[in-house]
Order: sequence, then structure tokens, then C-alpha cells
Amino acid sequence: MTHLLAGELLKVRTTRTAFGFAIAALLLSLATVLIVSLAGGGPETIRDKRAAIAFGSVISAVLLIYGVVGATGEFRHRTLAPAVLIAPDRYRLVIARMLAYGLTAGFAAAAIGAVVYLIGIPLLAGTSGPDLGGGDYLGVAVGGILASVLCAVLGVAIGTLVRNQVGAVVGLLVWIFVMEPLLSIPNANLTDYTIGTGAGVLGQGGNVDGTMAHAFVVLAAWTTLLSLAAVLLDRRRDVE
Amino acid sequence: MGEADGAIEAVGLTKRYGSVTAVDDLSFNVRAGTVTGFLGPNGAGKTTTLRMVLGLARPTAGHATVVGRRYADLDDPARMVGANLEVAGAHPGRSGRNHLRALAAMAGLPRSRTEEVLRLVEMDKAADRRVGKYSMGMRQRLGLAATLLGDPQVLVLDEPANGLDPQGIRWLRDFLRAMAAEGRTVLVSSHVLAEVAQTVDDVVVIHRGRMVRQGSVSELTMGGSVRVRTPAPDRLLAALDSAGLSVTRQDGDVLLVNAEDSARIGDLAHSAGVPLHELTPVSTSLEEVFLELTSDTGGIA
Repeated sequence: MTHLLAGELLKVRTTRTAFGFAIAALLLSLATVLIVSLAGGGPETIRDKRAAIAFGSVISAVLLIYGVVGATGEFRHRTLAPAVLIAPDRYRLVIARMLAYGLTAGFAAAAIGAVVYLIGIPLLAGTSGPDLGGGDYLGVAVGGILASVLCAVLGVAIGTLVRNQVGAVVGLLVWIFVMEPLLSIPNANLTDYTIGTGAGVLGQGGNVDGTMAHAFVVLAAWTTLLSLAAVLLDRRRDVE
Repeated sequence: MGEADGAIEAVGLTKRYGSVTAVDDLSFNVRAGTVTGFLGPNGAGKTTTLRMVLGLARPTAGHATVVGRRYADLDDPARMVGANLEVAGAHPGRSGRNHLRALAAMAGLPRSRTEEVLRLVEMDKAADRRVGKYSMGMRQRLGLAATLLGDPQVLVLDEPANGLDPQGIRWLRDFLRAMAAEGRTVLVSSHVLAEVAQTVDDVVVIHRGRMVRQGSVSELTMGGSVRVRTPAPDRLLAALDSAGLSVTRQDGDVLLVNAEDSARIGDLAHSAGVPLHELTPVSTSLEEVFLELTSDTGGIA
């Protein structure tokens, strides 16, 4: 498993895909902290100030798609066969890929979080209203990194299940931004258990929509369920 | 498994996709230490068969073993079997060197091995370019480099000559000969016989997913005929006929005898008192055998 993980990490590092997604995630996070901190006189409540630095809720969607693109890229570029020839039992290969993407996402989230805090803390210091405490900063950082890791792993699971890159990315976006919100029509509480809400709330370290622990359990449950499905289904499939 | 046993063995391999049977009850054996050509026209089922042998596709029926075990059961497959099934098989945005390094890392091989195989396939100077910029020939060489990473004794190469220019094909022949000279077992598929005919020891010929012939090249090209020219064709025809030989009469004084033993024909002519002006063995080329076996009217056993 160690060798497979080393190989998958090397694969992640040696294309521009990870770099491109990291840049996109960083720019989105910086735009969020700057807009929320500076627009309209700046945030005045703890909730709004946490939202300003909640990099995790911004980048988790990017990292989710990153995982999907990475996993589907194995099928798109036909790079799966050489890897399966090395690890023919397959499940270790999928798990190694999930770990590699999770680690990469965690590292990227920590780095992006550091930059966001470096810029956000001085900006928020100049705003009116109560200041964020150490617990707020810690909660947002831990939640942001956890959401990023889980979303990247979840993306790999979805990409492994769907295989078609365009179909997986479009389908995922439609599911999170169209279908999941529609679940509130029959029952408003259903959205508490969706991927989008789980990633969003966990990425902020908890908010009025839910606690960090609840969001973590929801997102971890989705990730575990779909990862298991991916591992089991992948073993039964032929490698094209 | 003894030395004489197959390095690769397929038993009743069958693969169906819905109502389409891609491979039908295919059994063959690749002798250890030989270069075996896996031949058949496009769409014959060669790649599907190799994928089943390598555990990349699940057989509908039958099974295959490599060095005596199912591929999936091999303890360290990269060190036992090297396979190149697809021309690309590498991310276009990754350099050839990094592609090999990643595979080497996954297999637990030292990074230095990457440099060794790059030199072996003469790709060391182009190794830092992205695979997307490679020519087809360079991709083939990169694929061959990947197969050699674990220094395996068994190589499975699927259409390695595809896209190669004449110089590349010559290089490939030399490469296969070098692999054979080192005592490795090589199973190489091709739909163009000329690419491998000069290199292989044995051939397995399939057509429409079914076995049509397996044997050594000499076995397959045996069963030729003997061209005989005589001023007394009628008398010789009668003599050969009475000896049970199949004879076709050609232009006037020329007979084509369906036999390999020209000496026996000479003896029969001598016994019958028939003078001979020509006695020439006519061998069948491997290409002719291949075309006959894989024509729609020929050969399926």
C-alpha cells in the first residue's frame, strides 16, 4: 500500500491538474475573504466574520471536482491498465488513490487556509462588532481541512463510479446545486443530510445550519458509502 | 510447473459482450523461453484475450495462468510479467520519465531502474518531454520501457509495431530478438505478420475469436509441395497416383505434387523409368498460411 500511495502521490504531483485546481481554490478563497471583509463596511457579527475566512466551504466544491477529474482522468487517458497490472487486486489501488487525493487536498487546504488567515485576520481586526476568538479560528481551520480532505476523497469515489469525466462533473454539479436544494420541498430537514450542506457547514467549522460534528458525520458517511461502492464496483469491472 | 510447461496457458477462454462472442473457447500454450506470435486480423479477439490473460477482463468462461498462476494471484506481478496493452496508457500532461517513475514507485522499484529502461528503449533524451508531444513510435517505446521496469521474464506485447515507421519496426525486431536472447518468454500480438514473422518461434493464430492454428513456424510452413517437370508427365502421374500422392497437373509437362519429400518423388520417378528435368520443393510461406487460415473461407478448426 505504501508503494501504491507513493506512486499515486507522484502522479498527482507530476501534472498541472493539481496545481491548476489549487490556484483556482486559492483565488476563490482570497476573493471571498476580500469581498466579505471589505464590502458594505465589513462583517459585524461572529457568523459573518467566520464566513469571511471559511476557506473550507469555498474550496471544498473545487476539491470535490478535483477528485472527480483525477479519478476519471485514469479512464480518459487509459492510465488505469498499467496501474492495475501492478496491483491486480484493484481495491488497494483505489484506496491508495483516495488517500493520495485526500492528502493532497489536506495539504492544499492548510496552505490556502494559512494565506486566507494571513490576509483575513488583519482585515477583520478593523471591522466593528465582536472579534473572533481562537476557538473560531481553530474551528474554521479544522473544519476547512476536514471538508477538503473528505470532498477530494468523495470526488475520487464518484469519478471511479461514473468514469466519464464530463458526465461525472456535470452530474455532480447538477446534484449539489439543483437536486439537493430541491429536497427541501418535501421536507426542509432533508437538506441537513446532503453533501452540499455537509461540506458547507463543515467547511465553516459549524454554523447556524448545523454543528461541525453533525456536518462531519454527514460528509464522512457520504464519503464512506460512495468509497465502498467505488471499491466494490471497480473490482467487478473490466479495465478498458 | 516444469520447464517444459507453458509460461502462459489459456484454457477455454471465452468472452461474451451481450450477444457478441469476442473470444470463443480459446485454448493455447506459450512455451517458456520462446517468442510467440499471437496473430489474427483486426477484430479477431487478440486484445480481449490478452486482457483476460492479464486479469484486466473477466472471462465469461475458462481461465488463464501466467507462470502457473492466475495473474491476479501473482505475488509481485511487475517483477514477473511486463505487459504493454495500449499505445498511450500515459497521461499526456506528464513527462515520460515521470510516468515511468510513478509506475516504478507503485511497484516498489528503485528510481534508478527508470533511467535504465529509458536507455534500453533509447528514450532517455526525450524523457522529459510531455507524453502528449510524443510521436506514436515514442509512445510505443515508452510502453515497452514500462513493461521492462520490473525486469520480468515474461513479456506480453499487444500490437507493439502499430504506428512504427520502418526504422521503428526494425528496432522492434532487434528488441524482440534481444529479449529472446536473454531467455525471456515473449507473447507478441500482431495483425501484420511481416512485423513478427522473422522473430517468432511459435505462432498462435486466431480468427473471429477462435483458435485456428498453434504450432512452431516450421510446423506451420510444412506441408508444402514439390514441383516436377518431366517429358513424360502421364507416366509419372500414374506412378505418383499409384503411390497415393495427390498431384495437380500444371502447364503441360509440369506436375505439382502435394508432398514434402522430394527424394521420394525422385525415387518413384526412377522406379517408373521417368526422366526428370526439374524437382523443386515449393515451401509455403508463413504469410500464405496466415492468410489462408484467416480468410473467411479458410481454416477455422
